[in-house]
Amino acid sequence: MNLLEQLFTTAFLVTFIRSVVPLLLTALGGLFSERSGVVNIALDGLIIFGALAGAVSTKLLEPSLGAAAPWVGWLAGMLVGGLIAWIHAVVSIKYRANQVISGTAINLLATGVPAVLLTALYGVSNESPKVENALPLWGIGDLKFSPPVYFAFLAVAAAWYVMYRTPYGLRLRATGEQPGAAASMGVNVRRMRYSAVILSGVLAGTAGVFLSIGNLDSYVRNISAGGGFIALAALIFGQWKPLGVLAATLLFGLLQAMSITLDGQNLLPSTLVQALPYLITIIALIFTGRSRAPKALGTPYDG
Amino acid sequence: MLLAPLATLGRGFSADAVLLHLSGSVMNLSANQEAPLPPTGTIVALAWATLAMMVATLVGALRRQNWFWITGLIGSVLAVTAVVTLGNSIDEQTARVMADSALRPGAKRQLRNYYASAGMNLGLFLPVLAGLIAAGAGLSARDWWWQTFNRMRGLLVPTAAIGLAILVGALVVLIVQPAVNQSGAALSLWSGWLAKADMVYFVYSTLFAPLTALNPLLDSLKLATPLIFTGLSVAFAFRTGLFNIGAPGQLTMGAIGAMLVGVYAPASLGWALLPLSVLAAALGGALWGAIPGILKARFGSSEVINTIMLNYVASAIFIFMIGNDKFPFLGREYSLPFKAEGFEPRSQELQEAAQLRPLLSVLNVGQNGAVAVSIGLLVATAAFFGLRLALRRQKNRSLIAAAAALILGALTWQIGIPVSVTGSQLNGAFLIALVCAALFGLLMWRTATGYALRAVGLSPKAAEYGGISVARGTILAMTIAGMFAGLAGTHYVNGGALDEYRLKGNMPVNVGFDGIAVALMGQSTPAGVVAASVLFGTIDTGGIDVDQKLDTINRDIVTVLKALIVLFIAAGGFLSRRVTDPPPPALLASAKAGPGAPSLDGTSAAHLERSTPLPNVGQNPEHHRDGDK
Repeated sequence: MNLLEQLFTTAFLVTFIRSVVPLLLTALGGLFSERSGVVNIALDGLIIFGALAGAVSTKLLEPSLGAAAPWVGWLAGMLVGGLIAWIHAVVSIKYRANQVISGTAINLLATGVPAVLLTALYGVSNESPKVENALPLWGIGDLKFSPPVYFAFLAVAAAWYVMYRTPYGLRLRATGEQPGAAASMGVNVRRMRYSAVILSGVLAGTAGVFLSIGNLDSYVRNISAGGGFIALAALIFGQWKPLGVLAATLLFGLLQAMSITLDGQNLLPSTLVQALPYLITIIALIFTGRSRAPKALGTPYDG
Repeated sequence: MLLAPLATLGRGFSADAVLLHLSGSVMNLSANQEAPLPPTGTIVALAWATLAMMVATLVGALRRQNWFWITGLIGSVLAVTAVVTLGNSIDEQTARVMADSALRPGAKRQLRNYYASAGMNLGLFLPVLAGLIAAGAGLSARDWWWQTFNRMRGLLVPTAAIGLAILVGALVVLIVQPAVNQSGAALSLWSGWLAKADMVYFVYSTLFAPLTALNPLLDSLKLATPLIFTGLSVAFAFRTGLFNIGAPGQLTMGAIGAMLVGVYAPASLGWALLPLSVLAAALGGALWGAIPGILKARFGSSEVINTIMLNYVASAIFIFMIGNDKFPFLGREYSLPFKAEGFEPRSQELQEAAQLRPLLSVLNVGQNGAVAVSIGLLVATAAFFGLRLALRRQKNRSLIAAAAALILGALTWQIGIPVSVTGSQLNGAFLIALVCAALFGLLMWRTATGYALRAVGLSPKAAEYGGISVARGTILAMTIAGMFAGLAGTHYVNGGALDEYRLKGNMPVNVGFDGIAVALMGQSTPAGVVAASVLFGTIDTGGIDVDQKLDTINRDIVTVLKALIVLFIAAGGFLSRRVTDPPPPALLASAKAGPGAPSLDGTSAAHLERSTPLPNVGQNPEHHRDGDK
């Protein structure tokens, strides 16, 4: 009973939402990229770049902009996320590289570049100095969240609307299923893919900004803690659909929040609970295979 | 040459340098302003001659003259002469200082180090390179040279990728690293630029320096050992058309297996403990590789996703086992025996019989503490390859050569050459890694199984049609790939690479990801993987030096370089397809000759296959099944 009491508190709800938001934003980003036919293993790296850009630019702009700085930092995080995703796009769309390798390269970059940059700027390699002005908290009572939280849940609705109710979404899905057919109907396959990959960088960058200046007040090494890969798992578990992604990230976020709350409890070893999302994904893949994945996922378009 | 410093005449501990420019002017940025400098007249004269040759080469190349490779070569030789002259005069200077009785021993040592890091700089290095490239390009007009060049075409993309990565890295250094100036004088724009250019050269020369001396080279080989294992793992999967991102997890499980046997197996097993422990590492990795293999073969789920997920599962098991000595379960506490006493997460120590000794103590045949490396291994290797070449006509030449190598190696084992090496941690896992590389080659290119695996990689549909089971190939390939990665655990656990013969929490599992870079660099061939690992081990070792000497550039620059190399290889080095993957000459000839001409012969088909290091990796199997509609 002790456990149930623990789980039905506002504190737990806050932890829960905070665990869900980065996963949700990143998975939505992955949704766009993969529905257009480009595998995006780089999500984890994109979160890190977004987090770094958010924290560093906020710190740099703080003296002149004051409380407006984190908002510009958010913008910078989105921009940098989009820029890095653009590199992935160029290499895998224009140069028809293997998309998994290109994504791996971005992830490797994300382990090296932040350290080099932070050492050059501040002389320490594993964290940025704390910012004075983090993103504000909005809400009532104990339920206060920073703006990216609200943005994330709005983004689900927006993603669903864009994906199923706009010409762009139709073209995007066509590009991921049958690029040849889409091209014959006058869709510019490459442009669709570029836009989708860059959008995924913008969303993952926002997730990073939430982690660095929404949740904490600085960038720390390995801030994503593998969140990009859980998001990838959520994307697959959610069957590449916006609402499925929402459900999957809620589940995985719940597991994460539980493992945080369970730490120090005597119910289950928290390290093993942390591994549950990964195990669930493996099992889910057994039952779904690749049957629901976009058909052209991972294949460069030669047209 | 005009824009960069020509040579370094001396360098202090914190990379502060005395720079010589082509104009003959000397810029002293070092803290030690009084140190006498070697004469520079000859070097500057030689450098001017080199510059003249370079200009001639450029003019010749632009006018498409045939002779420009000669001037390029001469320029290169001139530059090398300048470097040698410089080296001589620095040596003389060092000898003069050493002989100077007026100096204190401490000051002497300081000055010796000061001169030891002197040498050529960008202004001489670039002409050597440019001259050689010009010579190579000029010679390619000749047929024999062109054919040699064609055979090495597989190296083109990795070379271009390294070159580009080094260029981008140089830009990063230029932007990030301020000029080191300890002279106290302010720098003008021009001298500031020279000092910055010197920093670029300094960073790269430090990174690649371990190649030039024995002790750091052995350190590099130590860091290269796990990379060979994980590189082979990724490469093996690549050859079968699979992408193994699971090397970190497989390594972890291998290390756990090695630890379990090494610590808990009965001591009565004696010497068998070590092979059993190594076997356990292989099994642990193989198990963790087989899971995604089976899942892919049976349910068609992507091995990319599954291996990533299994990495995290393995890491959770790892932390669970050695992070704490008790765990809660449904309100009760249970105890775990694996974690050793103390704050640090680590296992109990391995039994003595399960430890892989440092390679030097194995190869050492010197008496009374003297280090003398046995020449047995060298003789055996030389005998093997020599005999294999000599007996080219013989059918089972490999067998004869191997037997002869064994006998010769055993005979010469007691003969040693004295070397001055101190405290190298290179351990027996390095030999296991080399054996694995040989196994990889044998299995892939000398057995029917390997043929089947490559067929699955090149074209699953055709393989299936030819009677090869794709499912079986997938499982087998992932199992063997996992085994290779698992064996990397022996380096850390049995080999004590982390200073203790234990399974430790700080085991750098990320070398599993570096394995991807290594496999790509090595074009998925065993020899390439070993070479690429040694290269990466070298810059890893050099990175530690850079860390110590400069404040604003740290070893993470090495990580960035590796990432850039992967990115550029993925993009095919930004080279045109026509350059990297030209149609085979036989095909061109037959197309030209029209119908009835001889078709592709076996050799060029084999060449093509070798040059496809990534057959269909990561492709959607559904897509293949549907065919391209």
